[in-house]
Amino acid sequence: MLKDVSFGQYYPVKSFVHNLDPRLKILFLIGYIVAIFLAKEFLALGACALVLVFAVFIARIPFGKVMRAVKGILFLVLFTAVINVFFHGGSAVYWDGPAVLWEWKIFRVTQAGIMFSAFLVLRLFLLVICSSLLTYTTTPVSLTDGIESLLTPLKWVRFPVHELALIMSIALRFIPILMDETERIMNAQKARGAMLDSGGPAKRVKAIVPVLIPLLLSAFHRADELGDAMDARCYSGGKNRTKYKKLRFSWRDLLAAVLLAALIAGVVVMRYFPVFPL
Amino acid sequence: MRIVAEHLSYVYNARSPFATKALDDVSLTIEEGEFFGIIGHTGSGKSTFVQHLNGLLRLPSSLKRRKKKDGVVLTVGEFDLTSKKTDFRALRRHVGMVFQYPENQLFAETVFEDVAFGYKNFADKKPERDEVERAVREAITAVGLDYGAVKDMSPFDLSGGQKRRVAIAGVIVTSPEILVLDEPAAGLDPLGKREVMALLHKLKESKCKTVIVVSHDMDEIAENCTNVAVFSDGKVKDVLPPAELFKRTEELFSLGLDVPLTAKLTLALKQRGVEIDCDYTMEDFVAKVLAKRGNVC
Ligand SMILES: Nc1ncnc2c1ncn2[C@@H]1O[C@H](COP(=O)(O)OP(=O)(O)OP(=O)(O)O)[C@@H](O)[C@H]1O
Ligand SMILES: [Mg+2]
Repeated sequence: MLKDVSFGQYYPVKSFVHNLDPRLKILFLIGYIVAIFLAKEFLALGACALVLVFAVFIARIPFGKVMRAVKGILFLVLFTAVINVFFHGGSAVYWDGPAVLWEWKIFRVTQAGIMFSAFLVLRLFLLVICSSLLTYTTTPVSLTDGIESLLTPLKWVRFPVHELALIMSIALRFIPILMDETERIMNAQKARGAMLDSGGPAKRVKAIVPVLIPLLLSAFHRADELGDAMDARCYSGGKNRTKYKKLRFSWRDLLAAVLLAALIAGVVVMRYFPVFPL
Repeated sequence: MRIVAEHLSYVYNARSPFATKALDDVSLTIEEGEFFGIIGHTGSGKSTFVQHLNGLLRLPSSLKRRKKKDGVVLTVGEFDLTSKKTDFRALRRHVGMVFQYPENQLFAETVFEDVAFGYKNFADKKPERDEVERAVREAITAVGLDYGAVKDMSPFDLSGGQKRRVAIAGVIVTSPEILVLDEPAAGLDPLGKREVMALLHKLKESKCKTVIVVSHDMDEIAENCTNVAVFSDGKVKDVLPPAELFKRTEELFSLGLDVPLTAKLTLALKQRGVEIDCDYTMEDFVAKVLAKRGNVC
């Protein structure tokens, strides 16, 4: 079903990770991604992976959920991996045997190529898993709160931070509603014999029209209503608005920050003093 | 076609923190030719149940494996809906489904095109133009609209009640044997409600053998239905004809449901010592009351 699309789906359990400050979680994500890209060898990337597995574990996100996020980019990752195996062409030797394992015209499979591809695959997986960990453990509302808070300095250059955050939170808020709506409309058209999930590409595109038009209509309708409702309550921009939930740092945040800082430090050190260089 | 459901359960978002048990061991039989009512408080699983009837919701595969053991049965006429091999398209031609707020499914440029959508989808080969036209004309006329006047209009220019009729026409255009309607009168004005219910009666006599209607309006249920299923928290409390059902006024109140006006009046009269035994249609009630009065005076 449509609701299985896991992107941006909050997973409601209570955990250490869920309770972290959203501002920090966003910064952690950025820090972690930097660490992934600084890592130059398997040992460093492995350390990153270990930290992430640990984070997923204490966040109490089931394994299946994580895998679903990975499944979304599986094709892209495999494609990249295959290209790299054939075109990397490096000459380093990692295990007993010839550096070049197979060669045909411009294709050349080398030990270095295989290692590099594996490295790339792992890196991409980590990237996806850590991003989805953020959305699994943070409600859209606190996510946008966090982003708004982090972007506050931009207000000095008259950047409409609050409005941007509002647009984001409304969009995120409406994703599940629109999903429900889509499912309802699809069901109604299926009941009228629409074959939405069979036939060639051209047929499928044509089959979308009876779903898309009612969906757009209802989306516009909702947007209108929301606008009217905000108007009726005299909603106006971010100035002087107070927040229902104040963001606060706690000991958890400190703990997590120390862990991440240690990871980044370790990765940086390994970058200059590699143990098993790739 | 006869509908048989036995030990039917359904869980939304199974195996996740969002899991909601919407149907819990539901067993029901709906005979051909019935005007079958389904009542129950909000969230009691009415919509979930009716969506099973044309295969829009199916038994989850985990359940299928346990199907034999638990004796889960769901058949509509010859169709076994617990099987994967069922031809759901053929099934849907026989079971027309009008969803809650069906006007939200309108999409085509003209009323004609919208009503013809279902007909063309279900046709085995591309139907002739005049064949389509005949079916569409019949359906639009059946729902009480003027074919000539509305056929070239945009469905979005119609009034709410008219849109609903067009949407219903879009479902009955294939002459389904079983017509399922999920709260067809919701959000209409009293006149609109009466017209929709009258329309259902007419359809039952002419086009559709069996009509199944989910409704919150007990007066309509009392007037029209041959049998009523009472849903509560995903379970079927009882299946009874209205004449039996509305005797149990207190019980219905405790389930958060209403009773028809006639049942309320019967209760009020009973409290004043006048016993009326009617089948809760307005006509019968009035007749019985008049008869009683004749005796007293
Ligand atoms: N698509 C869905 N995803 C998850 N849960 C759902 C979904 N549809 C219904 N439910 C849940 O299943 C239960 C039964 O819902 P259902 O729509 O069948 O009730 P209903 O009797 O039709 O109510 P109403 O009178 O309000 O239409 C409810 O608790 C509802 O929250
Ligand atoms: Mg419902």
